Amino acid sequence: MALLDELIVKKEVISYLSPPIRELFCCLKKDVYAQLEEIRLRCAQPVLLKIGDKDFSIDEQGQMNSSINRGYRVSEDDIYRTVAAISDNSLYAFEEDIKRGFITVPGGHRVGLAGQVVMKGHEICNIKDFSGLCFRIAREVRDCARPLLHHICDSKKCRVKNTLIVSAPRCGKTTILRDIARLLSNGDISRACNIVVVDERSEIAGSFRGIPQLDLGPRTDVLDSCPKALGMIIAVRALSPQVIITDEIGRKEDVEAIQECVNAGVAVVSSIHAGNLEELQKKPLLKELLSMGIFQCAIFLSRRKGPGTVEEIIRWD
Amino acid sequence: MLLIKALGGICVISACGVWGLKASRSLERRREQLKDLRMAMNFLEKEITYMHTPLSLALARTAYYSEAPISFLFELSSRYLSEKKGLTGGEAWSKGISFMRKHADLKEKDIALLKTAAQQLGMSDASEQKKYFALLQEQLKILEERALQEADKGQKIWSYGGFVLGFTVVLLLL
Repeated sequence: MALLDELIVKKEVISYLSPPIRELFCCLKKDVYAQLEEIRLRCAQPVLLKIGDKDFSIDEQGQMNSSINRGYRVSEDDIYRTVAAISDNSLYAFEEDIKRGFITVPGGHRVGLAGQVVMKGHEICNIKDFSGLCFRIAREVRDCARPLLHHICDSKKCRVKNTLIVSAPRCGKTTILRDIARLLSNGDISRACNIVVVDERSEIAGSFRGIPQLDLGPRTDVLDSCPKALGMIIAVRALSPQVIITDEIGRKEDVEAIQECVNAGVAVVSSIHAGNLEELQKKPLLKELLSMGIFQCAIFLSRRKGPGTVEEIIRWD
Repeated sequence: MLLIKALGGICVISACGVWGLKASRSLERRREQLKDLRMAMNFLEKEITYMHTPLSLALARTAYYSEAPISFLFELSSRYLSEKKGLTGGEAWSKGISFMRKHADLKEKDIALLKTAAQQLGMSDASEQKKYFALLQEQLKILEERALQEADKGQKIWSYGGFVLGFTVVLLLL
């Protein structure tokens, strides 16, 4: 497994780094690749590897170090070459992605961009003079949602319940959503469903040029880079889904779109940022949704025993 | 002895004449190549600014639709980028220029203009790329017009000049 992780990370992530940084990764142990979550490059700062909750750097001999100041310092040229590699030397072809602050590379890995933001009116029209990059390694954790499926699926009515996956950032919401999509689409436990994933930030499917890079099952359609509210309405009208899966709801229009989906008989499985039920109920828009009884199940996650630890499951059905 | 002198004279005149004709043809070829270059850049601009085609593919397509030796520049740059060995667009472009200039009749100032593209190619948004290509097209047009004037003036001078020089050398030797 560690070998597979090493091969995938080297091929799909490390290959985009500038040659001097790429060479540093040659000496790393296989286990590091299996646990690696992020690689951060910041101009004039050490290369940082995020493993679990800790940061490590790599020194010029390629040795991993918990003292980050000993790490190889990233140069402007490293940033330029890495940006050139991830954009295939074609920043113009990634304008929309850059406006949203990231570029997705084949394999579904996201590269967050930091630099000078150019505004036009009240909207971001470009980011230029890049100063920092954050590679977030996308991982499929197959069957991580399998134990949750019997809470999500109503076996008597043969339908999926409207479900919220709730946690603070980096607790595995997206990975769980992705696996729910795959399992429901495969029909592994319940009856197979037509799924539409409305993937506003290309995180769930990790699409590259519109094609999902991660396995979402055979009955899943993906609306990539589509605003959630708009995507949910399009999906109901055009793709006849039984379940819509989307990430990080929170705006007024999202709530209205969810109401419309539920009224059309389509189940919604979504994630939302909140640490616990109290925090969830403090969100005014969610409070409204919860009081209307639209959601029948909420699954609370944490990182207590690693990403995806199920803390609590609340059922309102 | 006279025969040898006559043959020698003919050789000198022919050599100088051919040299002059080649120089004259080179002026014409430079003008044609600048025109091909401008057309190719126009094609590349469309691929980049309207089609948003990735640079390596845009260069390959431009190579397909342009004439040799200008196509060498695009073909080679595209090949270097497709190898994905860590070269930037600018570096691949510079390598393409080095290869093409061995086969082309372009002057140093033409090459210098092309080299300025290395810093710009691909690494900005479509509107910035469009502005840069518009500027490049203008500069190429000016170079092409000057090349036309140089060809008009220079072609006759070089064509006849080679033979005249040959005659002069022969007369001096006699």
